[in-house]
Amino acid sequence: MKRKLWLLAATAVAALTLGAVPAAAQKVTLNVVTAGDQNMVDYVKDYLAPMFEKDNPNVTVKAVGTGPGDAGSQKIAEKLTAQKSNNAWDVDVAVVHQKMAGDMVKEGLLASYVREVSTGALSTAASAKNALGANVDGFVIPMFQSQTAIAYNPALVKDPPKTFAELEAWAKANPKKFGHNGIKGGMSGISFVVGWIYANGGGDADRLMKGPYDPALQNTWDAAFARLKEFNKNVTITPGNAGTLDMLNRGEIVMGPVWVDMFYTWMADGKLPPTMKLNLIGPGMPGQPMYYVIPAKAANMAAAKKFVELATSPKVQADGIVKKFNWYPGIDAQHVKAQLDDATWNKLFVDVTPQDLAAKGKTFPIKQYFDDILQGYEKKVAN
Amino acid sequence: MRAWLPWLPRAIVLGLFAFIIFGPLMNLVLWAFAEQWYFPHKLPLAYGLKFWNQVFKPRSDAIGSLVTSIWIALFTVGACLALAIPAGYALARLSLPWRAAIMLAFLLPQAFPSLAVYINVARIFYMFGLNGTITGVVLVHTVHGLVFAVWITTAAFAAVDRDLELAARNIGASGLVTFFTVTLPLAAPGIMASAIFVFLESLDEFTGTFFVGVPDVTTLPLLMFTASLAGNYQIAAITALILLVPSVGFMLFVERFLKADVMAKVGA
Amino acid sequence: MGAGPAIGHRHLGLFLVAPALATVLILFVYPLCYSLVTAFVAKEGGFTFGNFLRAFEFYSVDIAFTLVIIGISTVLIGLCSVAIGGYLTLGENPRAVAILKWLYRWPLFIPFIVAAQCMRTFLAKNGLMNNTFVSLGLVDPINTISLLDWRGIIITFVWKQLPFVALLVAGAMASLDRSTIESARNLGAGRLRILVEIVVPQVQQTLMVGLILSFVTMMSVLSVPIMVSGGSPTMITVDMAFRINSYGDYGTANALGFISYALTGFAAWIYLKRGVSQGGKP
Repeated sequence: MKRKLWLLAATAVAALTLGAVPAAAQKVTLNVVTAGDQNMVDYVKDYLAPMFEKDNPNVTVKAVGTGPGDAGSQKIAEKLTAQKSNNAWDVDVAVVHQKMAGDMVKEGLLASYVREVSTGALSTAASAKNALGANVDGFVIPMFQSQTAIAYNPALVKDPPKTFAELEAWAKANPKKFGHNGIKGGMSGISFVVGWIYANGGGDADRLMKGPYDPALQNTWDAAFARLKEFNKNVTITPGNAGTLDMLNRGEIVMGPVWVDMFYTWMADGKLPPTMKLNLIGPGMPGQPMYYVIPAKAANMAAAKKFVELATSPKVQADGIVKKFNWYPGIDAQHVKAQLDDATWNKLFVDVTPQDLAAKGKTFPIKQYFDDILQGYEKKVAN
Repeated sequence: MRAWLPWLPRAIVLGLFAFIIFGPLMNLVLWAFAEQWYFPHKLPLAYGLKFWNQVFKPRSDAIGSLVTSIWIALFTVGACLALAIPAGYALARLSLPWRAAIMLAFLLPQAFPSLAVYINVARIFYMFGLNGTITGVVLVHTVHGLVFAVWITTAAFAAVDRDLELAARNIGASGLVTFFTVTLPLAAPGIMASAIFVFLESLDEFTGTFFVGVPDVTTLPLLMFTASLAGNYQIAAITALILLVPSVGFMLFVERFLKADVMAKVGA
Repeated sequence: MGAGPAIGHRHLGLFLVAPALATVLILFVYPLCYSLVTAFVAKEGGFTFGNFLRAFEFYSVDIAFTLVIIGISTVLIGLCSVAIGGYLTLGENPRAVAILKWLYRWPLFIPFIVAAQCMRTFLAKNGLMNNTFVSLGLVDPINTISLLDWRGIIITFVWKQLPFVALLVAGAMASLDRSTIESARNLGAGRLRILVEIVVPQVQQTLMVGLILSFVTMMSVLSVPIMVSGGSPTMITVDMAFRINSYGDYGTANALGFISYALTGFAAWIYLKRGVSQGGKP
């Protein structure tokens, strides 16, 4: 007994002093760190990684997720900042939110790689150059675009509300049947809150999205926040993006804001009744891209570029992003559409039509306004 | 008829209590084997091992994080025992200044809400490159487990009969030989109990790992958390069951390890 | 082991304790002090109360909510543990006592995160609990309610912490001198009266220690409020994690941490004050 114990203690101490766990270093390990929901980590791990490893047998892809919402991107920025003085960073490719991308460029954490990869010219959308008011041209390629919308169960909601105002009345008449996840559990709730301010803020929503920034503008939102606080009393607050979908599935709520891609993925997995529908309500809700970025001192720069090239190639964008994971493509539509049959392409637009997207698909506000909205929510709605 | 009548209120109360205790656990077991279960069905539509295969497939996250968890727990036990055995012996046997204060110092990590401390540990670890490393997580778990290790080890040494040690000394054994041949073997069951305690604490620890280990170190509780928040209830339930087995096992057998004579001396 | 000179032992003792003590000092006391100081430091440096102002401006409801939830949980744990300990000590039917003794300890070592996962699907509107009630005809399917809010957090806390306190209390009760209990019983006192007037005062200290340890533990649980309720208001642990993870805002998070220490200190102070006012040792 005693010998065993000492042996255990001795091994442990030895391992601790030696700097702990041995890592396999013979092959190149490409660290791909993804902020966002589990479906995005799964996309990298189960779809992209095996494909890339097949083409590059000496590379092993290690996919890591840092969690949904701002917190996920913040974690990546922190990881990079902590290693700023080192020569090789342990993140090779990262997937980050719009909001953090601008700061990361400003802090010098990212490599200007887009012009050095063959797929760099395929994405010409405004969001590929400008992230919530910050210039990110050359530093990012969108992985995909996505959109939030209100999911509902048509069996229980015959006449779904078409605007925020109608929704407000509906929630009052059907207490606790609408659910959203606030601002702490992921971006779908944040998108709902931002959409609320666009609709009820009293100002010009375009100004929030385009700037310029005026700190006084947030004072005009008080009435909207007060109404949202009142509204929240009649709704269920869910524990996250997935939490909203889950509560829809279990019949605990009958309506709630969700990411369009997650909605279709859950449905395909049998985790949502196939009768559920989506509805992009007016005046509109924000959507967002996620960005592929490469840290300035990525340890495996060459492999990282190859990885992003693969991930943003029309074939992968068509087969992976659109067909398998139900996102709108990150690169321009014409490159992707050519790779797909019409049925698959149109599947993206069953409930939310291209016309809806054009009219009601908004972007998030520029970063300063965005922060003001989130802070205002914490101060005036949640507290 | 008469005989069972007095049992009725008792049976109702005990039955209700059993429902409260076992209901949530039963629920977990159901989820672990449910392949299809959605509203409005009260019980799963299909049972099976589909998700177990998914959890236990080679190269799965679950196996990886289980292995990580066990390694971390073993290192933590090693570190705790290496620190606690000498400390426990000194606290039980040697005259120490401020002994009470030293005993209390080990309780500190239990006396302050630890989350607020962990966020600062994470910040300090960043400076030393310990964040996101196994070593960092082991260090956090070690501090957390040290109170059990030191207190139980101290009690275990205190419960060893001094006469036996004196007898060994009288026949000429040195202090060190006496310690290794008499004291340590006699205290071993208590030390074993503290080791199991520390192992469990480390295996189940979530908050510290959440701040210090994420995203590079994924232990089983973190995997469970992610699965649960992503709505993968089967995966969450299966990982929860894996965590549950040692916990319940220890609960059922704790008295076998922690004898009453040691128990009585804990914290004394 | 009175062989060696006492002074040598003293050094040896300190030498043996030092590594363990240093571990606690470096890895706990130092970050603790760090958090206390950081709570008063502005982002740009310099002393400030700004972090506390922001903490109250954003989270005053959550602070009150945390205190209420943990307060109710602690009281419930206290009452239930006394009830369980009391029945184990004073119960007259050995079989019922044995069943209860076997039952109540199950959640003892179950981690909070597993308890939260159990409760998340158990207490939901269409969870196993409501389904059972509906099947037994106790509730209408339309009238089922979800307990996944503050009630769910309290239920999870009590479920998980009760066995620990009950174990301590039952142990203390078992080691009481039976003679006063027996004599009171001979005088015709009811069991409830014996429990309240004779047994509980004697185990009060053990009960309080158990409750304070539970209070502190519940004060730093992150998984349960996130997984069980998710919504607002929520507990300040969630806010701390949110400030750190989303904004890297250590100032406000540490101010909230400071508040959590203060709430704990407040609970301990009530306990000490009660002890003093009753003339006994705290």
